[in-house]
Amino acid sequence: MPARDLTARALVGYRRLRERTDVYSRLAALEAEVQEQRQLNRRIAELTDVVAELLIPLQDRDPGRAEELLDAYRARI
Amino acid sequence: MTLLSNAVAEVTDDGVLVRGVDVPLVLSVDGHYVWSLTPARDGRPARGGLLVPWPAVLRPFLEGRARVRIADVRGEVVLHDADVVLGSGRGRIEIVDRSGHPLCIDKVGHLTRSFEATGEEVRDEILAGTQRALRDLREFAGVEAYLNYGALLGAVREGRMLAHDSDTDVCYLSRHSSPADVITESYAVERVMRERGWSLLRMSGGDIKLLLPLSDGRVCHIDVFVAFFAPTVGAGPFFQLGNRSGDLAREAIVPVSTITLHGYEFPAPADPEAMLAFVYGPHWRVPDPSFRYADPPAGVRRLDGWLRGFRTHMGGWTGWYQGPARKVPRKGSPFARWVHRQLPKGEKIVDLGTGTGRDALFLARRGRDVRAVDFSRASVATVRRRAARSGLSDRVVADQLILGELRSTLLLAARLARDPHHLYARHLLGALDTAATDQLWLLARTALRWGGRLFLEFAAAGDGVPEPEPAGLLRRLDPEIVADRIRAAGGVVEHLTVGEGTDLRGRPDPRTARMRVAWPVVPVPVERNPAHARP
Repeated sequence: MPARDLTARALVGYRRLRERTDVYSRLAALEAEVQEQRQLNRRIAELTDVVAELLIPLQDRDPGRAEELLDAYRARI
Repeated sequence: MTLLSNAVAEVTDDGVLVRGVDVPLVLSVDGHYVWSLTPARDGRPARGGLLVPWPAVLRPFLEGRARVRIADVRGEVVLHDADVVLGSGRGRIEIVDRSGHPLCIDKVGHLTRSFEATGEEVRDEILAGTQRALRDLREFAGVEAYLNYGALLGAVREGRMLAHDSDTDVCYLSRHSSPADVITESYAVERVMRERGWSLLRMSGGDIKLLLPLSDGRVCHIDVFVAFFAPTVGAGPFFQLGNRSGDLAREAIVPVSTITLHGYEFPAPADPEAMLAFVYGPHWRVPDPSFRYADPPAGVRRLDGWLRGFRTHMGGWTGWYQGPARKVPRKGSPFARWVHRQLPKGEKIVDLGTGTGRDALFLARRGRDVRAVDFSRASVATVRRRAARSGLSDRVVADQLILGELRSTLLLAARLARDPHHLYARHLLGALDTAATDQLWLLARTALRWGGRLFLEFAAAGDGVPEPEPAGLLRRLDPEIVADRIRAAGGVVEHLTVGEGTDLRGRPDPRTARMRVAWPVVPVPVERNPAHARP
């Protein structure tokens, strides 16, 4: 096989290898990102718990002040 | 699986060397069950056979003489039954706890007491406690709880507790499928169980450990694991903590059946055999004390992502507090002296990651009220004990803070909002992951709105400096990157130096960073919080 063909074939092989390596690194990054998203579950649960168990009962204790805070909060979102 | 007629086992300081065996074996010392091993899985090739090294937790006990018996699980084929001499050979090998109770290795590699070494009376206490836990879960927490794992296996296969088991496990089938809802439900279950008088530990977003004190001084752990069906691709759909995942029909679990164990009735899965096959595989009917779970990695990865992460290094730190931390100096660190000098007399401090409490006690002795917090219960207990001994209990409040847990962090932030404290963290930052670090900035931003300061000391990264101890728990950080993160979280770095300091054990460290950080002051109505006197 002429040297030029050999070079061309080697280049094709090299590009394929590079693409494959690139796919592996993208896959690893994707897995890490998926895991990050899974971790949001615990954060959502913690926030839900704080609101349901702490903020709502606090409002029961001091409804006037809670209304004031809620109004102020609402005005800023 | 084979056990050849010429099978032999040799006991050496390195471990157990076996030839001609590929079945699980049971090792007893002076008549007490200690360890189960599967040579093909646990061993490495050596001297024409397989050498199974002693588990690390057993090694401290292996000094002296004892009669060691190694046999197959049924005890029908004995490979070794003779006196052995290990280590110096002086004295008798005794694998016992501090009260002299025999110990064995459980299936996750921990040293524990087994039911074989447990008296009938204590066994009844464990069963009655498990029954009470299940009743509380079903009647008060309102979840579909059932007996599972070793106790269920013992009940179905042998009609009694398994000799080599050490604790009991229960599960409940969540009515939810979204992990966030499953976790919220687990928090609610925890609250109910605390109200019912249980002392407990949270192990993950989906399991808690009930602590049942026994009359022999031991504490039995009853794990309460969640199980749920999650609509996932490529794993499950059924998940059950510990780490199980795969296919199991809902009808195999509910409506629950009833099973009897040593005269005690328990709720059990609707089809106990199907559950046991799911948990232990198709050969669950054949006793194998050296059994280990083969959990699908995709399922473990999901459970890790959904439910875990906030207490990854808790065991490591507890081990450190119970051992090397004894060498931590008792007097205050140079950093504590530096901080104390900068603050007006009497202003309060939170010592975040207080460890042995050396600096918390130092600051309290200098007349400051100190809230000492740490994520390790071993640390909190140490600080409380030392504060009491030094007559400083009224100045030092020790409590648990898990920075990786948002609830725990928000709760401290809420307390500090009405009770101004400065924040102090020596060698804490290098122990935190990204999520916990972000929550430290959140805590600082909310707790220092009155004008307080955050003081940080940590091992700084640099060329040729060794990694700090404890290895694997603490790491060096680039002070410039830390400063950037603080600025991104709204903080102002007022002071940053890198120079010679001391490590956790008080030894010189050539690169130690010190920082003083402020957050913008947010005016708080004076009439609502007169304590906020400082501008």
